[in-house]
Amino acid sequence: MNTKREERKREILVLFLFFYLLGGFYMYDVIIIGAGISGATIARELSKYKLRTIILEKEFDVATEATMANSAIVHSGHDPKPGTLKAKFNLLGNRMYKQMSTELDIPFMECGGMVLATSDEEANLIGDLYKRGIENGLKESEIQLLSREEILELEPNISDLVLSGLNLPTTAVTFPWEAAIANIENAMDNGVELALETKVISITKDNFFTVKTNKKTYQGKVIINATGIFGSEVANMATKASFETRARRGEYYVLDKDVKVANRVLYPVPTTKGKGVIITPQYHGNTLLGPTSEFVPFEDVSKTTAAGLEYIKVNSLKLLKDIPFHKVIRSFAGGRATSSTEDFVIEESSVEGFINVCGIESPGLTAAPAIAVYVVEELVSKRLELKSKESYNPYRKKVIRTIELSQDELNELYKQDRNYAKMVCRCEKVTEGEIIDAIHRNCGATSIVGVKNRTKASSGRCQGGFCQSEIINILSRELEIDKTKVVYSKTDSYVLIDTTKGDFE
Amino acid sequence: MKEYDVIVIGGGSAGLAAALEINKHRKSKILVLERDAELGGILQQCIHNGFGLKVFKEELTGPEYAERFINELDKSGIEYKLNSMVTKMHPDKRVEYASAEEGFVTIKAKAIVLTMGCYERSAGAISLPGKRPSGVMTAGAAQKYLNIDGYLVGKNVFILGSGDIGLIMARRMKLEGANVRGVAEILPFSGGLKRNIVQCLDDYDIPLYLSHTVTEIIGENRIEKIILSEVDNFVPIKGTEKEFEIDTLLLSVGLIPENGISEACGIKMDSKTKGPIVNESYQTNIDGIFACGNVLHVHDLVDFVTEESRKAGQAVVKYLDQTLDQSSNYITLQPGKGVSYIVPQRINQKNLSNSIELFLRVTNEFKDVQFTVTSNGEVIKSMKKKHLAPAEMEKVKLKIEDFEHIKDQITLSVEAL
Repeated sequence: MNTKREERKREILVLFLFFYLLGGFYMYDVIIIGAGISGATIARELSKYKLRTIILEKEFDVATEATMANSAIVHSGHDPKPGTLKAKFNLLGNRMYKQMSTELDIPFMECGGMVLATSDEEANLIGDLYKRGIENGLKESEIQLLSREEILELEPNISDLVLSGLNLPTTAVTFPWEAAIANIENAMDNGVELALETKVISITKDNFFTVKTNKKTYQGKVIINATGIFGSEVANMATKASFETRARRGEYYVLDKDVKVANRVLYPVPTTKGKGVIITPQYHGNTLLGPTSEFVPFEDVSKTTAAGLEYIKVNSLKLLKDIPFHKVIRSFAGGRATSSTEDFVIEESSVEGFINVCGIESPGLTAAPAIAVYVVEELVSKRLELKSKESYNPYRKKVIRTIELSQDELNELYKQDRNYAKMVCRCEKVTEGEIIDAIHRNCGATSIVGVKNRTKASSGRCQGGFCQSEIINILSRELEIDKTKVVYSKTDSYVLIDTTKGDFE
Repeated sequence: MKEYDVIVIGGGSAGLAAALEINKHRKSKILVLERDAELGGILQQCIHNGFGLKVFKEELTGPEYAERFINELDKSGIEYKLNSMVTKMHPDKRVEYASAEEGFVTIKAKAIVLTMGCYERSAGAISLPGKRPSGVMTAGAAQKYLNIDGYLVGKNVFILGSGDIGLIMARRMKLEGANVRGVAEILPFSGGLKRNIVQCLDDYDIPLYLSHTVTEIIGENRIEKIILSEVDNFVPIKGTEKEFEIDTLLLSVGLIPENGISEACGIKMDSKTKGPIVNESYQTNIDGIFACGNVLHVHDLVDFVTEESRKAGQAVVKYLDQTLDQSSNYITLQPGKGVSYIVPQRINQKNLSNSIELFLRVTNEFKDVQFTVTSNGEVIKSMKKKHLAPAEMEKVKLKIEDFEHIKDQITLSVEAL
């Protein structure tokens, strides 16, 4: 009898300990909701300090919404309304990008930009835009008025409509999803956790926040709401938000990398609707044409339309004389979050410790590293003590991009790992070694699009027609899952549904 | 640096035929570079029959057709490398390739034959409106999953585009137990061969929607639905929308010659064929670089690829023997009314023996018309044609005596009778 009672006692103790630990296990200093560029840069910034941080992301991978569907531009800071958070963080962010890109090995192309006026009315606005740039803090070396002749010398393909313009040499181009992925990977290398396919259902606050998700329940002292177009929806879970986020859709065309239509980012003169249809050369050689800009229901943000794509054609041809549209290899659309306040919302809400980083539309990608520093040093610091972590390493393990290596370097690499000479993607020249590396890093690829976003494999002119089956083989082998369980992009987006009759393996 | 007489880039139907033909006529050091794990190219995934009627006078499957050439290659002693992908080619005929067995290698040749074949136009290239779920892929990719890897890509299928691979895959998916809901073609006529329409669609009661296209892709994770609309000259007609619940959309919307490395090397392209501009000897604008097969222009039948590649192989032999006239006194061939392209694009008369066959495609369907060959306004020749369609490659033969009246250019057009 006695021994049985003791056993029972021990069982209760073990159970108690288990639940106590479990509670502690899910207790975080900071819970970031949303793994877009904002959540990513904030996570990395937080990882400098002795804080327990987790990122909750509802999608199958990180960086799938606005971070995925934008122009990839690191804007100079010339056009936000002076005095706004957009203006402030754009300029600060632009000046931080190079260092961040070096530390995290993110592609960064300092190509410069230009605003082009294509009517007398627009030409009259160029002077105002120049003044605005100066007011926003651009130095005179960072913004100059240009005549048509001066533009032609730098951009011979401009249309006959172009009258004058503005030179913006500090405009650059990044690779947005890699920027987000690299920030999260580095944050994870420094101890931050990531929970994917984890959708927040409710948030309550007692002594600390309790965040219920479709999976586990998490507890945290500080919440950062970086949920893009769902910003006000998530903010409203904690308290009635002071703003509303709506979704604006941007559609894009991608041109193949073998055509070059512009040497730098070419903007039209901005309107109240935004920056307009921009011509953006990409780091990897492609050109992006877009975006459109229209408010749509959340569920329609990633839907391309014939009308939208036609709009891009018409408007991009105002800037350029010749665009080979038969070289289009892809079109896509994505949603960006517009706040009812018409500015970024970066604030602690009326609930102590609940921080909104919302309405981060353009120039959000540029502003992200500066926003992160502000959020951590000015807002999180009010609720948590920031103690530096000696072990913090700002560098991400270098990414091997075989296309950038010389033949000698390639053969040196080949001696270490033969997979770097197995060419998987023939259009973009991506090797099996690069794909395996992308799978096994922190925040690694787990889907076909995940591989594409990290390595460029299957993003070229054949769009995976030849290499997708090989990418499925590699994912299946490296993740130790059946080929029918390999997904294209989202949860359950399987490509292969069954084996055919007969014995194949 | 290892040196060869000839490097053949691509070990598919064109590469195999060209290499064998060169070897047959001239003892040469030949290397075939193949990116895949086996020779044969796309033929290996074409397990249906219908190949070889012209070349072998019998009906073979794709792998059987390939096997005949592979066996012959093995017997010939021609060197080949598998899993070897050419990454770059230089005008001085250095070729760089990557292979897991050797690493990154540069080799050199006296002549190069481009036989890289073609790739399928993707969903991205035609900018289909709607979302980007899984379950949308090219027909050829689905064919590889099914016939090589042994996996089924879906059970409820619609096919956009009536190219031959789409038609073949309609039947193949049906035989695999899938419900094939239909094939849509944006043009008022099919993009595939007549025999494939009959044998792959009609025989299986699969409907063909001419002048129709997909106007929206619906589905978050996997494709769930498409909206199909009738079109008037490519513009969707409001009110004609039909909805199909499907789990797979296959695309057969065109093949594009694979010329990434050719263009990077400075080889001039024909904007219509998307292949190199070649002369009567299948030589490109770069001395000693030849092209044949689907990398040059997309063929209807593999038999035509073989025939063309053999001719290219013979020209390479002449080049190596230095009996090919390299002067640039060309007669240029111009597609006239109703003709979209002609291959070759130019002719050096000195290299012609008895005759030359011109290959061309027409822009539209025509009934009871004639081909007219003119040179500087003078009619050289005309041939009656009962039926012409863009899907069927046409041949026009010019005899050496026809050239007596030809000056510096030839125009080929479709004229009313």
